[in-house]
Amino acid sequence: MFKRFVSLQWKQFRRSSYFEAAIAIKILIILGILYFGGITILAGVGGYFILQKAFPEVDPLLTLNQYLIYWFLIDLGIRYFIQQMPVINIKPLLIIPIKRKKVVQFLLGKTATSFFNILPLLFFIPFSITLIVKGYHPLYVTAWFFGILSLVFLNNFTVYLINKTNIYFFLIVGIVLVFIALQRYEIFDITAYAQVFFYGMYSQPFWVLLPILLMILAFYANYQYYLQHFYIDGAISKKAEKVKVLDLKFVDKFGKIAPFLKNDIKLILRNARPKQVLLTSFFFLFYGLFFYTMDVYRNIPAVMAFASIFITGGFLLTFGQLVPSWDSGYYKLMMSQNIPYREYLKSKLVLMIFAVVVSTILSLPYLYFGWDIYKLILAGASFNIGLNSFITLYGGALNRIPVELNVKAKAFQNTSGFNVTQLLISLPKIIGPIIIFFIPYYFISFNAGIITLALSGLLGLIFQNQFLNLIEKLYQKQKYKTIAAFDEKK
Amino acid sequence: MINISNISKAYNGVEVLKVEELNIPKGQNFGLVGNNGAGKTTMFSLLLDLIKPTTGEITNGDIVVSQSEDWKPYTSAFIDESFLIGYLTPEEYFYFIGDLRGVEKSEVDDLLAGFEDFFHDEILNQKKYLRDLSKGNQKKVGIVAALIGNPEVIILDEPFANLDPTTQIRLKKILSELTQQKQTTVLISSHDLMHVTDVCKRIVVLEKGEVVKDIKTNEATLKELEQYFSQ
Repeated sequence: MFKRFVSLQWKQFRRSSYFEAAIAIKILIILGILYFGGITILAGVGGYFILQKAFPEVDPLLTLNQYLIYWFLIDLGIRYFIQQMPVINIKPLLIIPIKRKKVVQFLLGKTATSFFNILPLLFFIPFSITLIVKGYHPLYVTAWFFGILSLVFLNNFTVYLINKTNIYFFLIVGIVLVFIALQRYEIFDITAYAQVFFYGMYSQPFWVLLPILLMILAFYANYQYYLQHFYIDGAISKKAEKVKVLDLKFVDKFGKIAPFLKNDIKLILRNARPKQVLLTSFFFLFYGLFFYTMDVYRNIPAVMAFASIFITGGFLLTFGQLVPSWDSGYYKLMMSQNIPYREYLKSKLVLMIFAVVVSTILSLPYLYFGWDIYKLILAGASFNIGLNSFITLYGGALNRIPVELNVKAKAFQNTSGFNVTQLLISLPKIIGPIIIFFIPYYFISFNAGIITLALSGLLGLIFQNQFLNLIEKLYQKQKYKTIAAFDEKK
Repeated sequence: MINISNISKAYNGVEVLKVEELNIPKGQNFGLVGNNGAGKTTMFSLLLDLIKPTTGEITNGDIVVSQSEDWKPYTSAFIDESFLIGYLTPEEYFYFIGDLRGVEKSEVDDLLAGFEDFFHDEILNQKKYLRDLSKGNQKKVGIVAALIGNPEVIILDEPFANLDPTTQIRLKKILSELTQQKQTTVLISSHDLMHVTDVCKRIVVLEKGEVVKDIKTNEATLKELEQYFSQ
């Protein structure tokens, strides 16, 4: 029976939209997978030596075990964000003579093949081999490896138990942030305690029983849950949600674009995918922590300019690149109604600009890194509002991938929207601000760079009408193509 | 009102629709029948300029549909679920369509009040999103939304499919009343020969993309159609 399931799933995978894509994209995807896989394996092999070099006095295995707690929590957080129960089409399976147990077992087994489980394997297998080569006790290393493996799967199964509400997600993120803060200010160091357990799996292998037991428990809890809810109105099917009534009267002030704006707000608040975008764009705010704290980047202002764009542009970029794809589900309706493209576009534009303004306010804490940095962020925001918004909308019009609104994006799902035009259109978004900043910076001064970047945004506001005309023409020109593309079933 | 001349649509060289001449006068209740793949939906999609004709053109009230968008204010349609916005409640959807067609909220409410029977207490005030309604109820919403703003041309693809018997009968009444004033042109397609002969004053049969019959409906029409399709 399992063989049949596997063959069904294989067909679903093989015939899915990524593989129907052009050969060039296939090659890019394969290259991408090889690249990430390769990097991970390399990190696994070299990890030991890197740790040894970074902390020469300490046993590298000890160092790794110290920080594994963060990996564990962050992994859980990311999984929470992206990983979804793979729904196999259960309806046809319910009425044919297969034991429900088998189907549920298969369903849960299938989750094991997730990208999130394979990636750690690519790291920990070579790492463990290196350990053995370096003279660590093979038996103990094996025990430790299986302990880690159990933790990976513990996360895998825990996610399905807790991802029914969002509270846990914020709880996990909160815990990570609190631990990091406590450790940073030397109040309480969680890693010291976590190390006892993680290293314990190597030094006293009986510790391994704990994660294995927990993993089995998590699997069993899932198994029971799905077995009991294995009905078409049960856990695996989608549930009818309660309507969230929104009072959007204040939007009426926006005049002609109000109907679209109201719709877009509902679109964002009532669908899983846009909500995910909202959350992603929140994380973009932290881009700066990465770039501004590293000395390597601090001395390359061009890279800093690039980072500033991302801090305020998270929503603009992630939401904007899928305009008009957000409306793909009912694009035929839109095209058969008397819809002024301009108002339609302006509504999206208002949302994007609003998000940039909010992000700019939320990024006030970056003042901690100095006034220069914040000036850069402000200039970046201006570029985002004035120019990037139009570039992104133009790119979105070329995008033409149907979006399933109420289904979360999976890891690598965006590859289906990856094509050469998309690559070309994202170039000005990335290189544009760097060049605009870098030339005056290089020839005149830092401040000149900032002023030019800020002024480039003004350019967008002045030529707003021309830009909108351009995008409008593109919409008209591509109308039939877009309708046909959005009509394709996934 | 609608004039189709020399229209054809081909995909990869295979012709799926070829109609030389078809005139639909204002106020006519026009029915399109044909087996699967006969070209009904293709024809409606061409009428709405959702696909590009390979040859020929369609005019809707003297406007060539593929060249100008001025036919849109007086034309409305419900072809399939892709005309619904899943994350809205029925009320929100009606008001949104009203906004697009320049109809005040209160006018939409008046119109909806007239369809209380048709909705059968399953549409309004249900606190459900459109995506969570049954197929039949979704269809009801789509059909009524197509009537907002007194359009002169209404295009409905298989309006009877998925509806329960009571609603089918009510819909027939609504469709017949629409054309009574001779102001509204209604185009429907259907697989239900009985309904279509009840409602439509004129029936065109498509087969493999071509018009094979063009009948002015009378008592013998149903028999004629049944005979044709049982060949």
